[in-house]
Amino acid sequence: MIEEPYRWVEAIANRREYIETQLAPGSPIAALSYRDGILFLTVGRARQKLFEIYDRIAMGAIGHPGDIERLRMAAIELASTEGFTRSAADVSLRRLAYYSLSPLLKTAFEQIYGAPFLARMIFAEVGATAAEDLFLRVEYDGAITANGPAAGATHPARFSVISGTNRGTGLMEEFLRREHDAGCTLNRAMKLALDAWSVGNLPAPEDGEAEMPAHETIARHRTEELKSASVEASVLERNGASAIRYRALTSEELKALLP
Amino acid sequence: MTSDSLGGNLPDFPALLRREGLLGEPSSPASSPSLGKGSDFVPTQATTILAFKFSGGILVAGDRRATAGNTVVYDRADKVLEIDRHSIMAIAGVPATAWEMARVLEHSLQFFRRTQLQEMSVDGKVRALSKLLRDNFGFVIQGIGVVVPIFATYDFGGEGQARLYFYDPMGAQFEVTDYAVTGSGSPGVRGVLFYENRWGEKPLQKLREDDAVTIALRALDTAAEADTATGGVDRNARIFPLIKIISREGIRTLPEKQLAERFKRTVA
Repeated sequence: MIEEPYRWVEAIANRREYIETQLAPGSPIAALSYRDGILFLTVGRARQKLFEIYDRIAMGAIGHPGDIERLRMAAIELASTEGFTRSAADVSLRRLAYYSLSPLLKTAFEQIYGAPFLARMIFAEVGATAAEDLFLRVEYDGAITANGPAAGATHPARFSVISGTNRGTGLMEEFLRREHDAGCTLNRAMKLALDAWSVGNLPAPEDGEAEMPAHETIARHRTEELKSASVEASVLERNGASAIRYRALTSEELKALLP
Repeated sequence: MTSDSLGGNLPDFPALLRREGLLGEPSSPASSPSLGKGSDFVPTQATTILAFKFSGGILVAGDRRATAGNTVVYDRADKVLEIDRHSIMAIAGVPATAWEMARVLEHSLQFFRRTQLQEMSVDGKVRALSKLLRDNFGFVIQGIGVVVPIFATYDFGGEGQARLYFYDPMGAQFEVTDYAVTGSGSPGVRGVLFYENRWGEKPLQKLREDDAVTIALRALDTAAEADTATGGVDRNARIFPLIKIISREGIRTLPEKQLAERFKRTVA
């Protein structure tokens, strides 16, 4: 039965709906350029959601921990073997995502007798200047949305976000398009990222309209949520003596930086 | 525990490289025929490295010469290699093997940290290098791939302390309290360090950085006096040894200017 084309389309649609439902409660993640690098931020309760992939590449993900783990391992293995056999300069996020991860995800998603990856990911690679920072949102079906030099836009956004729902993602992007400037300080970037997180995490209003919440609503939601959850943040530093630019912010640093 | 039963998340980078065909199998004495009597192949050798603890952490120094038999191959070789933010592997022996080993070790430690989301323990790091030496033993028997490294690192366990090890070519590791020396010029260097530690103005562990640098430069110059394979300090071309310092804050490479000044004042 499944061999019939329309059944296959139906099965894919069902599968998409199932995955979206599973991802919906995921806590949003924002990544954005600031003057000295790229900031990753999310708010969580237990699980680590931001990871180092290679010297200049970091990843954040929402979804099933087992699937995230398999994808994270695949990314680290690919980057590490490339960095070992050639050089660290040959490891590129663009190649990693487009040539390796995307085909893998698409195959798993479309083979309807096998299990798809329940994961939505955000990757960033820090460049020598903010204009060279690359942001990629990678979906469970292998689709990639790029922000940065590869995107081809005249004014590419210097940020990327993921959330459990399309609505949340859209609102977060709108918020950052309005407020974000790649030349800002880490302090300012922290506040923006946290506000963007609140925008993406606020429940949809009763009438279902995707409307930007007011500043007070955002601030209230942020304060409320931070009572029971903690901020997780890491940075990819633009300039550093060491080749390794990834660093998770310590709790002391977070305390000093949070509004 | 096999990687199959755990879905592949085993933090063994050399095993991953072998799976991908990017690293040779371990060489064993049995599978390694010697070069044969008629062979005139002489491998490049890098020599004479030293490390000792002083008041500011560990000083690791290496001369810059690489030789093959009687020939000086290179006079700016880098034998003091940073492995991670707090670890240094210094090498004496065949550079082709040693640099590859350092590369595998560096990537192994990073791979472990990234996949396991924690730093590898000092014992784990020391053991990882030991295993690389063991895997190389076939080439040692052949006489073409001997590597005798020193490993220095900062251990954050407990109150934190600098740790220093040297190895033999088979991979046995020896932790030392004061200093470690390997390479062809090591007898001279060892003599200098032993003398300074026992009868010098202060024991090595109490030295300030400036005085530690002086002793490192003098020791390498002493080695170069008798051993042609050690470059020491090249006065004509102004080539200085490479000196790095490990402390709690990380690794620092001493600038050539500082070495030149110190050399002029206290060595030359």
